[in-house]
Amino acid sequence: MKYRSLFLKIFFYFWLAAAAMIGTLNVMLWFSFAQDPNPERRRGALGEALNLYAESAVQVYDSEGPQAFEQYVNRSLKEAGTEIELFDGEGTPLTPPTPAEATRVAAEIKQAQQHVSSVTALGRLTWGRTVIAPSGRTYIFVTRLRQPYVFRGLPPFGIVLSILAAGVISYLLALYLTSPVKKLKTAVQSFAEGNLDVRVTPQLGGRRDELADLGREFDQMAEQIAALISSQKRLLADISHELRSPLARLTVALELARKNTNGKAEAALDRIELESERVNKLVGQLLALTRLESGAERVPPETVVLEDLVQQVVDDANYEAKPQHKEVKILKLEQCRVRGSSELLRSGVENVVRNAIRYTAEGTSIEVSLIWRLDTAVVTVKDHGPGVPETELKHIFEPFYRVGEARERSSGGVGLGLSIAERTVVLHGGSIRAENTSDGLLITIELPLSSTPSAIHSATEKQPV
Amino acid sequence: MVSVLLIDDDTELSKLLEEYLQSEQFELDAAHDGPAGLDKALANHYSAIVLDVMLPGMSGLDVLKQLRQKSSVPVLMLTARGSELDRILGLELGADDYLAKPFNPRELVARLRAILRRATGSPTGPSQPVHLADVELHPESRSVTCDSKTVNLTGAEFDLLHTFLRNPGKIISREDLTQAALGRPMSPMDRSIDVHVSNLRRKLGPYEGEQERIKAIRGSGYVYLLPGEQA
Repeated sequence: MKYRSLFLKIFFYFWLAAAAMIGTLNVMLWFSFAQDPNPERRRGALGEALNLYAESAVQVYDSEGPQAFEQYVNRSLKEAGTEIELFDGEGTPLTPPTPAEATRVAAEIKQAQQHVSSVTALGRLTWGRTVIAPSGRTYIFVTRLRQPYVFRGLPPFGIVLSILAAGVISYLLALYLTSPVKKLKTAVQSFAEGNLDVRVTPQLGGRRDELADLGREFDQMAEQIAALISSQKRLLADISHELRSPLARLTVALELARKNTNGKAEAALDRIELESERVNKLVGQLLALTRLESGAERVPPETVVLEDLVQQVVDDANYEAKPQHKEVKILKLEQCRVRGSSELLRSGVENVVRNAIRYTAEGTSIEVSLIWRLDTAVVTVKDHGPGVPETELKHIFEPFYRVGEARERSSGGVGLGLSIAERTVVLHGGSIRAENTSDGLLITIELPLSSTPSAIHSATEKQPV
Repeated sequence: MVSVLLIDDDTELSKLLEEYLQSEQFELDAAHDGPAGLDKALANHYSAIVLDVMLPGMSGLDVLKQLRQKSSVPVLMLTARGSELDRILGLELGADDYLAKPFNPRELVARLRAILRRATGSPTGPSQPVHLADVELHPESRSVTCDSKTVNLTGAEFDLLHTFLRNPGKIISREDLTQAALGRPMSPMDRSIDVHVSNLRRKLGPYEGEQERIKAIRGSGYVYLLPGEQA
């Protein structure tokens, strides 16, 4: 599903709704005026009143003259916006200036020899009739009723303008609704990246609504998580310190004992040294694993040159492998850049290689290669050892999982190395898997590349050494 | 007897170490927190200082920073195992070497001896000044100028540069560099030589025209390039 921003959605749909409403309203108004539902009844009722009025007004004109007529009309009707025109029997206007509409009605009455006529244009009624004054003179009385104050829809440019205005309002509304969401999103992102101090409430100002509530909830949650993580970190540091201080003293005491016994207890002291070294390693690995699992460890956005890292790990591993008549070989090393912590990734790869050294048969070599496929860096480590029974393959990344008691005891491992490797790789957005080959175990680590290898290749031309 | 100051908050460990080092001809003085250690270090002339990074109150790195403003006494750091960051920071701040805690006291003695050997001058190297392109190195005064400007180097960085200048254009392995600069063989998973090299690189800067001065050769080591030379 394609990503669409909430802002655009709100803006667009609100605007659409507003524009549709403006349009519909105008069309409805236009229709209601285009077709007067009951013109006859309206005219009939008005007719009664107008008949009476026409007769009295004509009487005023006939008997008292135009000035009196004007006064009469002004007094009673002008304020209401109604225009009164008077014509003689021949249709000649007696009260110029005369609106065209009135002249037309007068002419119609005269021509058609009708008594009453009316016409409605744009909702304004023009009504006329002949009146015979008591003196026997015939007049044509025409009145234009004031335009009824009814909203009859907007002209086209008005519609466009109001839709544009609705657009501006929708824009502001969308901005008002989504800006706190955007701030929340930024805060959550930054929190996820490990910035535990980020808070939203100060950014929302004095807002008081559901979104502000959400912001406050986020802040409370952030507060709690930050407190949890810092106490976790403190605990880890304390454990590290508390377990290692006695170990440090033990090691010194051991060497003192060696000096003081003059070689009389070497075998036992060697054993004590070996076991204390094991405890020390175990503490180190446990701490590393807890850090990885607690989320206290986070991936910095650094670029890691993976080929250098693998090379260094292999160089170091050979120190350990050579005395056991084993060797670590690099088959292929392609340029790969990934994002993350070189320290963590190194320990991850190192643990896999060390595990391979532990299990590969004496006199054999471990084959390490680094290649890239599309957007993935692939590290493979292959040993020539007993492999792992198929049913247990998926468990070997679990902490303290032991494939076989006898094997594990002789190898001296504590069963945390692969767990650490797995957690590290997952933390970097990659994956790790194990499979048996014809004569050993193959572990494959995949990590997302930070830039395409072709870009690296074109940027750094290989120089002859 | 060689006098050494140990700054570590573990008093029991200090006592054990005192006893052990005594038998190795070291006289150990101990301080149990940062400020006290700093005072002692500045007030007396110790041959070397062993400094624990994890100290209550003032951290070992702060002690080191303040110490380096006034004294160039050799410093061996004790770091928690697995905290590479402390190690790198410490070396950048001018520590001469480090040891991960818990350590074997035999190893401590070996490192101390290596540091002290170096601090009293390298008897094997020629003491003639070396001049190569824009860099001048004077073994007598242990001073270095680059582009006629004085460069402040720690003991390890100085010996590293000396080794490079004696072999310009040649690839020197990390093992050999560790032996030359730190006076001890390289141990597995040991990154300190890389930190020293990168410090040196940063302090000297590239040649004119942004040309690299010290180049890493993957799988082999480092090479100090001459101006205009491509590795």
